[in-house]
Amino acid sequence: MNEKEANIDLLFRNGLKDFEVLPPPGVCNNILSAVKIKSRPYIFLKVAAAITVVLTLSFLTYRWSREVSFEPSSSVIAFNVPVSPPVLYNPIDNPQYLLKGKINPVKNSSDVLTETDNQAPVQMEIETTFSPGQILNIKETKGLYLDRNETTNDLILLSLNTSAINSAKVKYPDLQYFPDNTITKPVKRWSIEAMASPTYYSNFNSGSDALSKQLTSSEQSLVSYSGGVAFSYKISKRFSIQSGLYYSSLGQKIDGINSFSGFQQYQISKGAPNFEVLTASGTVYTNNPDVFLSANGTNRVLTAYTNDVFDPKKASLQPVNNSLDQNFSYLELPVILKYKILDKTIGINLIGGLSYNLLVSNSVYTTVDGTKYSIGKTEGLNPLTLSSSLGMGMEYNLSGKLSLNLEPTFRYYLNPFNVTTGSFIHPYSFGIFSGVSYKF
Amino acid sequence: MSEIKKIIKGCLAGNRRDQELLYRRHAAKLYAVCLQYSGNDEEARDILQEGFIKIFENLEHYKYEGSFEGWMRRITVNTALEKFRSRHNLYRVDDIDTIQEPDAEPDNQDYAGLEANDLLEIIRELPTKYRMVFNLYAIEGYSHNEISKMVNITEGTSKSNLSRARVILQRRVGSYTGIKKKVANE
Repeated sequence: MNEKEANIDLLFRNGLKDFEVLPPPGVCNNILSAVKIKSRPYIFLKVAAAITVVLTLSFLTYRWSREVSFEPSSSVIAFNVPVSPPVLYNPIDNPQYLLKGKINPVKNSSDVLTETDNQAPVQMEIETTFSPGQILNIKETKGLYLDRNETTNDLILLSLNTSAINSAKVKYPDLQYFPDNTITKPVKRWSIEAMASPTYYSNFNSGSDALSKQLTSSEQSLVSYSGGVAFSYKISKRFSIQSGLYYSSLGQKIDGINSFSGFQQYQISKGAPNFEVLTASGTVYTNNPDVFLSANGTNRVLTAYTNDVFDPKKASLQPVNNSLDQNFSYLELPVILKYKILDKTIGINLIGGLSYNLLVSNSVYTTVDGTKYSIGKTEGLNPLTLSSSLGMGMEYNLSGKLSLNLEPTFRYYLNPFNVTTGSFIHPYSFGIFSGVSYKF
Repeated sequence: MSEIKKIIKGCLAGNRRDQELLYRRHAAKLYAVCLQYSGNDEEARDILQEGFIKIFENLEHYKYEGSFEGWMRRITVNTALEKFRSRHNLYRVDDIDTIQEPDAEPDNQDYAGLEANDLLEIIRELPTKYRMVFNLYAIEGYSHNEISKMVNITEGTSKSNLSRARVILQRRVGSYTGIKKKVANE
């Protein structure tokens, strides 16, 4: 008896070892959609972290540049010591310190633009009455002051430096340093811009399997669009960083799928989708019980209502269309770096960066005489994709604050929307963004 | 880093492609386990779904010690047991007690020609309690003491259920083999 028992145990143990049965279709999507919900907080955390990093960097850069802009240079500190006024070399005795040309007449109010090697330009607006020997502005190692030419009696702008101070021969005890009424205004670093673009959307197929090729060959790009608002911060004279929020709507037309209406009276499923359509971006599941779908000469429509079971013509279903439109909408959070190549009335920028794209809606429909009829949804799409973008921006300055922008941009999605066929189909898009920006 | 480690890390990062890859690699084997523990396809599908969700949710606890497939199988079996325990009270007593035991031991011990599909069909015809105990003891290798705790029965009941399961299986295997031989001869 024991041997028989052992035999029957062994029979089942060995017989069922490594036994495999393919699970029914749809289970995978059910599982992954349930897991997707669980993993969303993690994704949102990543997005939140990225936003925090960008904002922190922007803030720190802003603070740093402000500090650098207003940090007094060492020479200024020296000149501001009231106890021992500096001993200056008389520039008139040494022609090398004379600036080329005269500044005559000197106005009571003038703008002097200074720029040091390691800081952004700061516009110094000086509103004071100059007197001979008064220092207008002091750079890191040099200063300028006014004096009267003894021979011509004209006011001239003179420069001095620390070496000159060290070897001073002539004293100016009543020299006035750094006018107290000097007002400085920083250059506008922030700007907000609104952009929009029609977009051409397509995809690269890196796979070699026949199914993915068949799927992509019958899919055509629909006119898509993208637009939104972005803030940019000028890090230095040439570099600026930009972030914001964009909304993108991408779409494609799937040819060779016939749709019929009036199927509701024949369908017997309760809740489950009647048809599945394989596409390069994922599997479309119908949610409209009135729709019957069939494919022209391909097996990309999966259904229990096959040709041998149900004939839409015999059932007198109404033909609707022979293509489906697939649409995805994304909220984009870009982090873009701009490099200014040309800074004139028309500026030219190089643009590059990354964007997080959060899927906010997807729909599949068919359009008849301009009216959209809902078919279903594409399942299994990645809720979050990462895209890289590269472009060139042209900026026409209408005024000091307002400018028109034109940015042809190529965008490549680093991770695919879906992996339906085992191939990696990477979407890309090209758009010419146009809009206005306002500096503040 | 091994490929499975990469896939697991991708799953933990919420990478959809890796999750799908993990599913496609192991779903067929785990679905066979689910069918083995369930009386119908719908229940097997539910077990597979719940089991895989647990696998994804608990991936961070996998210590990369021992077989990953074995780890997944244990989760799937436990899911099947949970389902069994939750429904256990709903089974009528006579579901089990009215099972007619075979009159005699089967003579035919020639199991040749039986395929995995046949074995699965036979095992699924067992009453739920017998099927659970037989699977856990004969296939998974648990002791009666462990089974008694897993299924909430006494050790004696576990032994008794196993014994009854074996008798039923022997008889059905015998009749299956006979039918197959008859078909082959014709």
